[in-house]
Amino acid sequence: MNKNEIIEKLTPIFREVLEMSDLVLADELSANDVDNWTSLTHMLIMTKIEETFGITFKLKELKKLQNVGDMITVLEEKTK
Amino acid sequence: MTFTSFEFLLFFPAVVLLYNIIPQKWRLFYLLAASYVFYAFLQPVYLILLAAVTATTYGFTRWMENVDDDDKKHKIMIWGIVVILLPLFFFKYFNFVDESITSLFQSMGIGITMPTIRWMLPLGISYYTFMAIGYLVDVYNEDVEVEHNVCAVGLFLSFFPIVLSGPIERAGNMFPQIKAMERSKPIDLTSGAKLMLWGYFMKLCVADRLGIYIDAVYSNVAQHNGTSLALAALLFPIQEYGDLGGYSLLAIGAARCFGFKIVPNFNRPFFSTSMSNFWRRWHMSLIKWLTDYIYTPISYALRSKKMWGIVIALLVTFLVSGIWHGAALTVICWGLMQGVLLSIETVFQNKRNNFEEKFKLKKNGLYIFVCCVVVYIIFAFTEIYGMSSSFAEANLIVKKIFTEPGALFIDKTTLSVAVLMTVILFFKDLRDEFFPNKLRCFESKSIVVRFGSYLLICFLILLLGVLNAGQFIYFQF
Repeated sequence: MNKNEIIEKLTPIFREVLEMSDLVLADELSANDVDNWTSLTHMLIMTKIEETFGITFKLKELKKLQNVGDMITVLEEKTK
Repeated sequence: MTFTSFEFLLFFPAVVLLYNIIPQKWRLFYLLAASYVFYAFLQPVYLILLAAVTATTYGFTRWMENVDDDDKKHKIMIWGIVVILLPLFFFKYFNFVDESITSLFQSMGIGITMPTIRWMLPLGISYYTFMAIGYLVDVYNEDVEVEHNVCAVGLFLSFFPIVLSGPIERAGNMFPQIKAMERSKPIDLTSGAKLMLWGYFMKLCVADRLGIYIDAVYSNVAQHNGTSLALAALLFPIQEYGDLGGYSLLAIGAARCFGFKIVPNFNRPFFSTSMSNFWRRWHMSLIKWLTDYIYTPISYALRSKKMWGIVIALLVTFLVSGIWHGAALTVICWGLMQGVLLSIETVFQNKRNNFEEKFKLKKNGLYIFVCCVVVYIIFAFTEIYGMSSSFAEANLIVKKIFTEPGALFIDKTTLSVAVLMTVILFFKDLRDEFFPNKLRCFESKSIVVRFGSYLLICFLILLLGVLNAGQFIYFQF
């Protein structure tokens, strides 16, 4: 799956969980930039990504994700 | 020898001086030896335990390094954690479990008495145990490289500024600094000394002054009315902040004099507008540790349970925090209270954010003030359970606060000095929180203001500080 396809699938997940209908995903976007992106919503996002992409994250991988860009890179790897 | 003892005032400058004279290759052994000497002044026999935990940590990390299979590595890590936790359990929790089992048997009519241990708790054991476990897990997670020099691991776990009461450091921050260990720069020495000066002020002038009043009231709960107990309960969080916050600054400042940058432990906690915000500002190194090694793995494992997974993770995390703070049911209850409060906040977080957004409250001064007061009162209330020796005592305090108002017990000299010192601390924190670049004293460009403020604080410590109060509250953990 390429980057654009991944962003297309990620955007509705982020918008739904963070309750922000106009959210635009960018590589640098992180939890520090969005008020509603808390530990709870982070786990909800991860669970939805796992369901949508049919993958599972290891805790080691999750801990290394610093922003949306990192997440897309991991998803590109996992959906090859 | 503690930070507030006369011996330390001789020991510390001498150690810093010699550290800067000797060649770099000797600094690791030298600081390790100084740290062991410092510990030996307090509890020489428990140096064996500190060395044993160091050897165990070193052995397990080296073992993990030589294994490729992830499952096997995981097993080694778990066994390492169990072995490292054994002394902590033995010294800190054995009697608690033992007495609980005995009273359970007695309530069932079975008269069995279990053997008890009457040994002194090794100082700093909760801190260096957590640091060792953190290092082990970080190695497993490949967050840090395995350290091959056993002396470096020894210094990491015994570094004298932080060994007794933290901050709880991490291998990723400490090992690069242990490897570097250059001569102290002038900025390190001046910054370190300033932090220590403020730390002494917080401990001796704020915490120990307030402690005189609080101890007088809490040591005789039955004799005091609800008004006095309420005041003591409201002052107790400030005493704790002065005590551990002051200790932390002493530790961070002392380490800074050797060029070490230690993680902060407090960030003006009484300007918190929510409990979750409070726990990001209070005893930060412990909360960061609990978040990384307890909360995150549990919330990850339970992620399919969504909201409930987070709630369970929060409850377990703060239950562990309670257990870490003390082997008593009241303290465990205190931990659970924090977990419940944070769970409630988490569940309503989005609604609160939307509410604040809708009414533009995020920068509303009155709203921020009310939130800070509410958070403070909630924390002060939970602390009644955190500091009481039994539920009966805690419940009596709460009952009296709500049902027995009366004339306030006042020790005028103590209270007026304590309040004045607290006001100075409050305004310093207020400035740092809202006007970080205004009205600088220790950092002023004017040499007169700078030295005037050093002298004023020294003068306050010598004149109004409690110089014979003894230990820090957090040594017991």
